[in-house]
Amino acid sequence: MAAHTPAGHQGMTNSMLGFILFLASEVMFFGGLFAAYFIARADAPAWPPESLLTPEQIADGVKLELEVVLPAISTGILVLSSVTMQWAVWQIQKGNQGGMLWGLFISLALGLIFLVAQLYDYTQLHFRADDTIFGTTFYTLTGFHGAHVAGGALFIAVVTVRALGGQFTAENHEAVEAASMYWHFVDVVWIALFTVLYIIG
Amino acid sequence: MGRVPLPRRFRLFTALIASALLALLVTGTASAIQPGGITDEARKMNDLFWIVTIAGLVVFVLVAAALVYALFRYRRTNDELPPQFHGGGAIEMAMVGVPVLIVIGLFTISMITLVEIDDPAEDDALTIEVTGFQFSWQFAYDLSDLGTNTDPNAEGTIAVIGTPANDPVLYMPVDEPVEFKLISNDVIHSFYVRDFLYKLDLIPGRENKFTVTARELGDFQAQCAELCGTDHALMRFVVRVVERDEFDAWVADEAARQLGEGARVSTSGTQGD
Amino acid sequence: MATVAVPQLSGYRRPAVLEWITTVDHKRLGILYLYFTLFFFAVGGILALLVRTQLAVADNSFVGNDAYNQIFTMHASAMLFLFIIPVWAGFGNYLVPLQIGAADMAFPRINALSFWMLPPAGILMFAGFIVDGGAADGGWTAYSPLAQQTGVGMDMWIIAVIVLGMSSTIGAANFLVTMFRMRAPGMTMFRMPIFCWTMLVTALLQLLATPVLAAALVMLFIDRNYGGQFFDPNGGGNVVLWQNVFWFYSHPAVYIMILPGMGIVSEILPVFSRKPLFGYKAFVFATIGIGGLGFSVWAHHMFTTGSVLLPFFGFMTFMIGVPTGVKIFNWLGTLWGGSISFPTPMLFALGFVSMFLIGGINGTYSAAVPVDFALHDTYFVVAHIHYVLFGGSVFAVFGGLYYWFPKIWGRKLDDRLGKLQFVLMFVGFNVAFFPMHMLGLDGMPRRIAVYAESTGWEALNMLSTGGAFLIAVSMIPFLIAVVMAFMRPKDQPNDPWEGNTLEWATTSPPPDYNFDSLPPVRSERPLFDARHNGEGH
Ligand code: HEM
Ligand SMILES: [Cu+2]
Ligand SMILES: [Cu+2]
Repeated sequence: MAAHTPAGHQGMTNSMLGFILFLASEVMFFGGLFAAYFIARADAPAWPPESLLTPEQIADGVKLELEVVLPAISTGILVLSSVTMQWAVWQIQKGNQGGMLWGLFISLALGLIFLVAQLYDYTQLHFRADDTIFGTTFYTLTGFHGAHVAGGALFIAVVTVRALGGQFTAENHEAVEAASMYWHFVDVVWIALFTVLYIIG
Repeated sequence: MGRVPLPRRFRLFTALIASALLALLVTGTASAIQPGGITDEARKMNDLFWIVTIAGLVVFVLVAAALVYALFRYRRTNDELPPQFHGGGAIEMAMVGVPVLIVIGLFTISMITLVEIDDPAEDDALTIEVTGFQFSWQFAYDLSDLGTNTDPNAEGTIAVIGTPANDPVLYMPVDEPVEFKLISNDVIHSFYVRDFLYKLDLIPGRENKFTVTARELGDFQAQCAELCGTDHALMRFVVRVVERDEFDAWVADEAARQLGEGARVSTSGTQGD
Repeated sequence: MATVAVPQLSGYRRPAVLEWITTVDHKRLGILYLYFTLFFFAVGGILALLVRTQLAVADNSFVGNDAYNQIFTMHASAMLFLFIIPVWAGFGNYLVPLQIGAADMAFPRINALSFWMLPPAGILMFAGFIVDGGAADGGWTAYSPLAQQTGVGMDMWIIAVIVLGMSSTIGAANFLVTMFRMRAPGMTMFRMPIFCWTMLVTALLQLLATPVLAAALVMLFIDRNYGGQFFDPNGGGNVVLWQNVFWFYSHPAVYIMILPGMGIVSEILPVFSRKPLFGYKAFVFATIGIGGLGFSVWAHHMFTTGSVLLPFFGFMTFMIGVPTGVKIFNWLGTLWGGSISFPTPMLFALGFVSMFLIGGINGTYSAAVPVDFALHDTYFVVAHIHYVLFGGSVFAVFGGLYYWFPKIWGRKLDDRLGKLQFVLMFVGFNVAFFPMHMLGLDGMPRRIAVYAESTGWEALNMLSTGGAFLIAVSMIPFLIAVVMAFMRPKDQPNDPWEGNTLEWATTSPPPDYNFDSLPPVRSERPLFDARHNGEGH
């Protein structure tokens, strides 16, 4: 069998490259959802589009309003978790397994807090997914993001378990890097979401 | 690899290509009778259609001829290796240049046509409000918006409503611009009149408009062109282009029938000679 | 330089079925892809015959309007999502590692996952026929709001297409990494076989466009099932949004459906002309150009919605004609001055070139916006689609099958039966689809279950139906050839055609892990170089 040394590609492994490509497709997925949101906004006479509410909806107490304080705190939490995640990567790059473990634990915990906060936030809102395009886009965007946070948290959990088993070293810790990259991606999407839904909205 | 050309099979192949080309040519000439169109706009589109067709035919004939020639001329006759030519400079530039020229030319011409056919109607043109629904059409005429002979004081609307089994007839006068307003409240439909060489979609939440001036009298078959459910195929209608006075008479009749004898309609006075 | 065949390595033996189910070998997965997709080609073909039977005569009531809508929707869905898109993954799986001199794909297990997502999706989609309300019937384009009205079969269709999309997205990442990272020593990007290049650009399109389709389908699913308002103007949604997002995927998708076919043709023509591909780099750049432009022309499917920037999209669409034209020149230039022989794969490749030429020309009609006002959603567009996808892609599929059959299965398909198939298919195809141009020009809309006799469309429709059945007949010699081939022993040498690329340097079929040794790669035709000691460079 011929040996194939990939010519001139030091550094990134195949898995990492594949993973980056996968993230590119994720970006396109969110891009599609964002596009829907922007088109809806461009079409709307005002945002939030209160005028689209039917009398029944208004009678039901539907209000197209967002609560910004809690999500702002959540944003901080998620950004912080990104930092701790990166810290975990730096630690294992130096061979410090203990430091990495702390980083992973904290990131995981922060991620879970974010999810709980988001679910709580959902219960505080006075509109549902079927209350105009405002509700639909809001829940679709944040919901799919939340699902990605959950996926990322699961990823970190798996990595944490492997880390507890001592599977990572300074030379060999690709899964940690991948989890971290995914986590940053989720974080960046959230910052985009927060900006678009809460600040510009 | 086996030796050289199998002349018999080769002839079979070329005969095949040749007969296919011939068949295409024949059926192609058959289709030569096609477009046409009965409106000013359609006639411009017809011109464009022919320009595209001629350009397409020229390209097709040249390329097909080169292909057939190459297959004849360079069929394998001995086992020698032909010159290994990879391409290069000038030819490759031409490979890009020729299509660019063709494409820019066709684009320019089609934009000119687009601008020509896209002149919105005067405010006082006859407006027909077309509503598509599953699975037929409604054509509504506002009596105060009947174009040439409108009585500004007329009130009310008359409408023709079809069913899948009963194709509605759309009356319109000849030789004057008629504006169509397209509306749908259920799904997307498409207002397609073959002899206008035109279609435009009826989209829920949108109002689309276009204007044509018909130049030929007669009945023209038309139908929905956007899949809209089970009986999409039955969403047919007839466009009936008539002289202005016939149109006015029809409006008067319909108004009397639909709105009662007292309704004021537009046909008063201005009926000309 | 000669290569030596190694005997198949064999560990312990498991039951054959189990071995196929658990395989992560790219060759076996490639073969599974081919079986799967050809099966759905047959299914889609049967549905097509039902469509053509219904349309053969005016006012026909062979199948009802409702059933008709399901049948043509599932015909297109099967042909596009279950046949033509994954069939390239099949060829690619088998050939890309071989052509770049690798032992396998970069991620063999993910490769198996990509394949095994297909059968459940296919079953789910077709199970629509047995549920209440029937299978999806809104066309493969599933325009909203119509797509909100149908039964649960539509939801099954949506989920199936999402799953198929995920399969091709991860498959695409796999192909890309394989080609970026696992090429044999000496094989620079610009020495990669042209088929690989087309797979590379296809994979990029899949990676970036398919997720957008997934987003669109998710929105549709939410609208259908959770009261979403994405496409409902009453709630502030936008009907045309669906079309924008759908075509943002589906225009690139039409290139996903044909670029690898162009690649196959560009492998076959040089071999049987005994010349290199004329303008290899131009071809590569044209492929990349088509890929890039492919993302900026989606709205040419929406000219009649009254909501798109006509000049821009008209211009970009015309521009796609440029790289397309370049390719026609590539192929002509390859034949020119060659020493051309005409075995079956070559006939199919030439069929592709000539039919694709027509498909490119009739595409320009629709690029000319005012002409498209007349032709959009008529049978003219149906003719266009089939000249590119059948006359193009399907001819390439068969060309590829005849060409690589000896490599994949170690036996050759009978050449005379192959030629018979080609003749029947070529004639049948043109008889079936050429008249559709005229029907379209005469005003026959697509997707109609019945037409009145007074339209005068009956004669051409009858002709077209005859052609469709001739195409079906052309499958008989193919099947006979396949059966005959499998009754023979594996007798094919490494390189039965005087091939150019690395797959011909190993045994037919190749051993596990593909190569015992590789010839040096100094051009895009390493085997040609080996045969001729590099003369001609
Ligand atoms: C010169 C190159 C091409 C041009 C200028 C072109 C142009 C167009 C245009 C403008 C339309 C929209 C027609 C309409 O609906 O009114 C169209 C439809 C279509 N084209 Fe092409 N095309 C080209 C090549 C291809 C290729 C290579 C493929 C696929 C292999 C393809 C597949 C399709 C399909 C599937 C549709 C119909 C989609 C549907 O409505 O279901 N085209 N083409
Ligand atoms: Cu319809
Ligand atoms: Cu397109």
